[in-house]
Amino acid sequence: MKARIKHYLGIYQGFISTSFAESLNFRVHFVLLILMDFFFYGSSFLSIHFIYQHVEVIGTWHRNELMFFVSFMLSVNQLAMTFTSESYWRFPELIKRGELDFVLLKPANSIFLVFFRYIRPGSAFNIIFTLPALIYFGIQLGLGVTAWVMLPFLVAVAFLLQSAIDVILATTMFWMLEGTGMNFLRIELQQLSRWPDFIYPDIFRKFLSLGLPVLLIGSGPVRFLLEASDFIPLLVMLALLVLFLIFLSFLWKKGLRAYESASS
Amino acid sequence: MAKWWQCMKVVWSNLLVYKINFILQAIAPLFVFLFVKVSLWTAIYDSSAKSSMISGYTLEQMLSYHLWIMIVTLVSLGAINQDLSQDIRMGRITIYLLVPFSLFEFHCASFLAKQSVKLGIALFSLVGVIIFLDLPMEFSQITNAILLSLWAGLFWFFLNYFFGLLGFWLEETWTFSVMVQVITYFFSGAIIPLEFYPKWLTDILIYTPFPYLGYVPAKIMMGGQVDLNFAFTVLGVWMLFMGFLTQWIFRRGIRLYTAAGM
Repeated sequence: MKARIKHYLGIYQGFISTSFAESLNFRVHFVLLILMDFFFYGSSFLSIHFIYQHVEVIGTWHRNELMFFVSFMLSVNQLAMTFTSESYWRFPELIKRGELDFVLLKPANSIFLVFFRYIRPGSAFNIIFTLPALIYFGIQLGLGVTAWVMLPFLVAVAFLLQSAIDVILATTMFWMLEGTGMNFLRIELQQLSRWPDFIYPDIFRKFLSLGLPVLLIGSGPVRFLLEASDFIPLLVMLALLVLFLIFLSFLWKKGLRAYESASS
Repeated sequence: MAKWWQCMKVVWSNLLVYKINFILQAIAPLFVFLFVKVSLWTAIYDSSAKSSMISGYTLEQMLSYHLWIMIVTLVSLGAINQDLSQDIRMGRITIYLLVPFSLFEFHCASFLAKQSVKLGIALFSLVGVIIFLDLPMEFSQITNAILLSLWAGLFWFFLNYFFGLLGFWLEETWTFSVMVQVITYFFSGAIIPLEFYPKWLTDILIYTPFPYLGYVPAKIMMGGQVDLNFAFTVLGVWMLFMGFLTQWIFRRGIRLYTAAGM
């Protein structure tokens, strides 16, 4: 097990260094990525700020609670943008051109090789926006010691669940071949998850929490962090994460069987 | 004219090759966006103590505003130009330098083809709204809003074409497109109506193209009083500026172009 982890860490180290080398060759793109995320974060926070200039509360949440939720979701988004986002756009090209063959020949898990191959260092830099926001609104809400200790783990778990859902959606590209539409759907589902679950009508909330659990990505952890007794959504989220990882493994094998190499 | 028509036919058939892809890419985002906003504003009004009116909008008016935003942005924010910079980088624009149908004409024809599809979907949605929701509106409101949205769509095309042309200098230009999209959605009133913004900001915004890409056509649909001449003029000036800028950028960029092997 230890040797296996070391093996994968070695591979990932290679991915990081090649991604850095690539991004340093395209410095304008590196800066633009930072600016792009900056505008996205800014518009997210300002939209909520403007709404709360006119209302006291949304659902049961006041301004700081929703701002903390948004900071949490932007932190998850920042991790996704850094570690996986690029790979979803490159994956359909691997299928169409048959370049997936070369990935399958390598002695490592193919899901890992496909979806964790490209890292965007420019997006990693944006932690200077998301982390202070998360800490600031956490302090405003007076989070307890347990919540602060749990916070990094919960951001990581939320990122894992989002990644599991995203990779499952991406796997359908084995059959669809053209991946742009599926990538747009993936982005739209992320859009849904960026608002707390209580804003949605009951039937959609249930489906988007239990069927396709995008709402649990943010609402599960944040509800627990705000009120430790509200832990059920978090438990459901952890259970669904395990289920989705098992399902992903199954679907990936099916997808590989449907893959027709260069002729696909 | 035949060349334009042939080009449009090719674009239509390309769109139909991957139908699910087209639906997921072009239409689904707007409906998801609408669903999020309807859910959000319903929750806001449900929990508001003042309940009946927020910033001059009742819940019904807020929901119809977002419905109109969805329909007008189908037309005004329809054009995307993801392929141009890649074509430049890969040396695929050489053909347009050799045949009597320029790169601009090709992209313009593609834009018209896609715009006609988006307009069809927008009009179909509009008929659905009129039949099922029975929202009060007059024919002149619809015509003015659609015309302004088409005018705004043309500006949006020029803007996207401009960012595509930056492919002469840059390896990737999609970040520009996403950035402009984020800024535009925010300042066009597509997320929240501009009445929620500080007055000093809206006073500046009326001289920018952003409100005319969403907020203003939606307000026309809702029967609001809008100075149409001013709206068309502001957008026209910006479009003229973008037109000159794209021509200038193309002339500069083509000097750097080395066909294949860039």
